[in-house]
Amino acid sequence: MRSLAELQRDFAKAIVAQDGVAPAVFIGGADSVIERMAIYRRAVFANYRNALAATYPVVRQLVGAPLFNAAVDAFVRARPSTSGDLNDYGDAFPAFLATCALPDGPPFLADVARLEWAIDESHRAADAAGTPDLVLASLAAVPADRLPKTTLHLAPSCRLLASDYPILAIWKANPPGNAGDATLAFDACADALLLRRDAGGIGIERLAPGDYAWLAAVAAGATFAAAIEAALRADAVFDLDRALHTHIGAATIVSIGVP
Amino acid sequence: MPALPPLPLAGEGRGEESCSTDAPPAHRPPVAALRAAAGVGLRAPHVREILAGRPSVAWFEVHSENYYADGGPALKALDRIRADYPLSLHGVGMSLGSSDPLDRNHLGKLARLVARTEPALVSEHLCWSGVGGRHLNDLLPLPYTEEALDHVVARVGQIQETINRELLVENVSTYLAFADATIPEWEFVAAVAERSGCKLLLDVNNIYVNAINHGFDPDRYLAAIPAAAVAEIHLAGFDATGPCVIDTHGARVAPAVWSLYERAVARLGPRPTLIEWDVNLPEFAVLQEEAATAQSILESHVAIAR
Repeated sequence: MRSLAELQRDFAKAIVAQDGVAPAVFIGGADSVIERMAIYRRAVFANYRNALAATYPVVRQLVGAPLFNAAVDAFVRARPSTSGDLNDYGDAFPAFLATCALPDGPPFLADVARLEWAIDESHRAADAAGTPDLVLASLAAVPADRLPKTTLHLAPSCRLLASDYPILAIWKANPPGNAGDATLAFDACADALLLRRDAGGIGIERLAPGDYAWLAAVAAGATFAAAIEAALRADAVFDLDRALHTHIGAATIVSIGVP
Repeated sequence: MPALPPLPLAGEGRGEESCSTDAPPAHRPPVAALRAAAGVGLRAPHVREILAGRPSVAWFEVHSENYYADGGPALKALDRIRADYPLSLHGVGMSLGSSDPLDRNHLGKLARLVARTEPALVSEHLCWSGVGGRHLNDLLPLPYTEEALDHVVARVGQIQETINRELLVENVSTYLAFADATIPEWEFVAAVAERSGCKLLLDVNNIYVNAINHGFDPDRYLAAIPAAAVAEIHLAGFDATGPCVIDTHGARVAPAVWSLYERAVARLGPRPTLIEWDVNLPEFAVLQEEAATAQSILESHVAIAR
């Protein structure tokens, strides 16, 4: 008698295999067993296609359902899910699209996929505490000698995303179900985006180079002084006072850490 | 920040307005035993209507994994629904019968959600979903052997210990049966409850589907189930157009399943009963109609008992 682990390994192998494969461990004739194994295989792959279509609706719209489904099937075989929570699955899909599934697809596809994954993560991130007034007051109370080493903390739902392509415009122009224009005029070139969840949903805005560099440094844990240096490298006239008031006021920065 | 059009995203409660507090509402009713009434599975497209209209529903059940997020609108919507209705948490991803170790992270998220929502019932499926670190995220059949029984009983114990709650274990639909099986499904299900001390979530539709697919008498199955262990019943629709009957949760409850449900209620007594619908989701009113049918069967049994 085979062990539970052996039976499960053979079952899983048969699911991932192409049609027509089933281990000889089941009751019934070979044809019937293969047909019934195919029911499980169809259910498993349909489940992943639906889950990733929900996470990547614009990517699916851009490439069309047949190519999208084939990419998902290949992704499931190459980078299997490791979590019982399907909401966790799919973070490696953008890179897989660019390198394995659709290397000849639109050049911006992986970055649009990264934007959709960032939106998905932002939806599931922890809620933020703290109000703008509180953050500004606590920042004002930091002694001058300790300010350089103070750190700023972004709301858990914030995501920063940079691309060589105008992915926000592409994303907006191609909602699922619409005959959008995937070949937008590339007059705008690079995008530097900030995503943040508030009571109304997810907001996405394009940032100036200085603001993006500053928030990216803050997100990476840089000190107050180091973040300013990063911002000034990207934009020599970066206005710290404006940036602080803008991004604390919008609840992008929600707390501070004083050394 | 510029206003954006509604985002084209799926997921429970997405797009719902948020309320301002993280703390569970203070007027939440205390946890109590769920009465033997008909409840409805809560699905994302119905959340807005339910929050706005507060329809008359005895209780709601949700898929636990849809609320394993750290925060966000779905959890807030669930808090608001929990303030007005009893809740049941129904897990689809614990992989209870897998030969892999239990996923402590997954179990921890269940424990966190149990603490947050104080549900009336917590259930998982009698199946496995992944092996060797690879998840297939589906409800796959167990070989009904002594080894699998020992394994499941031990794992139910681990889960009950972690969440500090009694777990309900649900029988699943299957399309393949293992030649190595030595225990009939109904004896396996009954033994899991008897040996682990867990309760059962008896899916009457799954009994019917398996009876057709594997050729057994569904009443023999019912007769083997210890009535005292059954804490909840599930009802759903299936698809019988293919080579075997598939449990799709995509249709109304079939007449033959209603009939089996009546016999189950007569034998086990009235139990909280859920209408499950996942695929081709209809308007909420259709789920309420199905729940009303279950409710009338529950009430007619109570009337006979009196």
